[in-house]
Amino acid sequence: MTTKLKEVDVVIVGLGWTGGILAKELTEAGMKVVALERGGMRTSENDYSLPNIRDELRYVVRHDLMQNTARDTLTVRNNPQQEALPMRRLGSFLPGEVVGGSGVHWSGHTWRWTDMEFKIRSNYEERYGKKFIPDDMTIQDWGISYAELEPYYEKFEYTAAVSGKAGNLAGTIQDGGNPFEAPRARDYPLPPLTPILASEMFTNAARNAGYHPFPRPSANASQPYTNPDGSKFGGCQYCGYCQRFGCEANAKGSAHMTVIPIAMRSPNFELRTHSWATKVLKDSDGKRVTGVTYTNVLNGEEFEQPASIVLLCAYGINNVHLLLLSGIGAPYDPVAQKGVVGKNYCYQTGAGATLFFEGKYFNPFMNAGGSNATIDDFNTNWAFDRAPHDFLGGYNVSGGFNTALPIGYRPVPSGTPQWGTAWKQATAKWYQTAMVINASGSVMANRYNCFDLDPTYRNAFGQPLMRMTFDYKDNEHKMGVHAAQVINDVAKSMNPTKLNPARARTDPWTVVPYQSTHNTGGAIMGTTPRESVLNKYLQSWDCHNLFVIGANAFPHNSSYNPTGPVGALAYWTADAIKNRYVKNPGPLVQA
Amino acid sequence: MINTMRVATALSVLLLAGAARADGDAVRGEARFQDCAACHRLEAGTNNVGPSLHGILTRKAGEIADFRYSPAIKRSGIVWTPETLDKFITDPQALVPGNRMPYAGMANASDRADLIAYLTKASQ
Repeated sequence: MTTKLKEVDVVIVGLGWTGGILAKELTEAGMKVVALERGGMRTSENDYSLPNIRDELRYVVRHDLMQNTARDTLTVRNNPQQEALPMRRLGSFLPGEVVGGSGVHWSGHTWRWTDMEFKIRSNYEERYGKKFIPDDMTIQDWGISYAELEPYYEKFEYTAAVSGKAGNLAGTIQDGGNPFEAPRARDYPLPPLTPILASEMFTNAARNAGYHPFPRPSANASQPYTNPDGSKFGGCQYCGYCQRFGCEANAKGSAHMTVIPIAMRSPNFELRTHSWATKVLKDSDGKRVTGVTYTNVLNGEEFEQPASIVLLCAYGINNVHLLLLSGIGAPYDPVAQKGVVGKNYCYQTGAGATLFFEGKYFNPFMNAGGSNATIDDFNTNWAFDRAPHDFLGGYNVSGGFNTALPIGYRPVPSGTPQWGTAWKQATAKWYQTAMVINASGSVMANRYNCFDLDPTYRNAFGQPLMRMTFDYKDNEHKMGVHAAQVINDVAKSMNPTKLNPARARTDPWTVVPYQSTHNTGGAIMGTTPRESVLNKYLQSWDCHNLFVIGANAFPHNSSYNPTGPVGALAYWTADAIKNRYVKNPGPLVQA
Repeated sequence: MINTMRVATALSVLLLAGAARADGDAVRGEARFQDCAACHRLEAGTNNVGPSLHGILTRKAGEIADFRYSPAIKRSGIVWTPETLDKFITDPQALVPGNRMPYAGMANASDRADLIAYLTKASQ
């Protein structure tokens, strides 16, 4: 039996960065907002302080902050000829499942994606001709421009306490920043983090090779900071427990200590935790949505929450899943290439080398989420000619550490036995003396990489699981070869005692081990309903009072972490709703 | 040159070991309090990541009943005075090894004097 609740102005599904930003902005605009979060309440004071943190077993091995696969998961396959099987344990990526979402356990890397991505098809066609883009590569322009998004990037960077060094201030290139970035109106709110030895060594080597290293921009406050909303940050303590952990120093920009507490102080806001949204309800003519149904996962009670506006702010994959379960928009068919919901799923690729320096002492515990130096010479540098290498997109290369966890981090030179005395000795010898150089690469959309509903497997609510079909294509393989070469050249120039070189990946993608939580696409934005699910305001083309906010909206994946544009788009959408939609509800872009 | 640096270091160690300076400026200290404000409130009964600092200079360490202190702080036996606070803030792990406050310390003595002058007023 479903209990029908009283109608509210807005219902938000998922309370992480995007849900938190919209909850704050819309309650401040006077709207009554209810947020449904599938996970429980977590706060810095109760959960992310000692002795509850720095617990690798709890957070990394047992995924304390992540989606419970016993309740819902995905099935996975490499191509439409295969039978997809369920992912029974989290592996390759880690969707969050608590108040604050994946914004609790992220590292904080915050990038501005630019017109290189937003106008990708136009750019490549103009420079290289239409034939340069393979037929099965379904990249498309996003329908938004960097200039439109720039103030919203800034708003997110100042909210989240991003530390970094501008490379291009209003058109003037700045020493020490990323010279290839698009112009920004203001510098980052905070100076870069103190570099660690490994990132300094990489910086020198990359500079000697003629590249342009810069400190990686990251929402790890390099000093105490009060953001424009009054949220207070401590300075980063370089404890090394960033990725997959909540921050004990309140130094990592996270929704649970910024926008969410502000929303929660408003009488217009109500949070319901342990609330699993099962369906978005359409009205009889299919032009609007009327609310959502959800289940209290603690006792199984079912509710209908009517609302004038529905905002899907869950993890990107879960947003797409809800659209498919609710029959909103035409499901994508990769064989017929018809429909849109599920189209253009993209992941990321990479290559990495480990460098061992006998006698160096890196102290790998001393680092922050953003303790890396990065080069963008093969990414946002449009002067880098892709034609001789025959790939589209790009990759960034970073050197240093992200995290060096005592259970999982065991760098040993290739050829070391995988167990026994020799392995133990090598582990003790090299633990303090290793550093990494990694490339993170873009993945271009391909007609066969997509989501749909699985025909066989169901979740705890009796609903079909989401099915993911994904593999790397020639474009990624060629880029991997190029990236591995660049990494190995820089690595060799540093004269390590031993080197585990980077290798381009050629094997099919698998769902283990952990690779990256940067899943994009499935409910993409664009210029026409024929080619996209959402317009540039992340508003559904089918139902104008439904907005779907997250990396699901990206028509392809770049080499960058997605949170910068995810946060910026959340503020952008909030403005569109507050300033335009509520005054005149209807499509914000005419189809 | 090396000798001068050694002398300077030795001098600063002597200064660190001395009593807290009483000439702090509470106005400047309010700005220094930004180092603390992400975790500590000044109002009574408002524990955050750290315990409320209300009445700190009238208390013993580890005394607020509903805050979960580290065993190290509870055992420390410290009575908070401008002097003990100064020592603690200089390098918290040096004075109370194993305490849970994620803060590396405030190295500059006049910054600490300003902060303590501010806390003396604002924690009442």
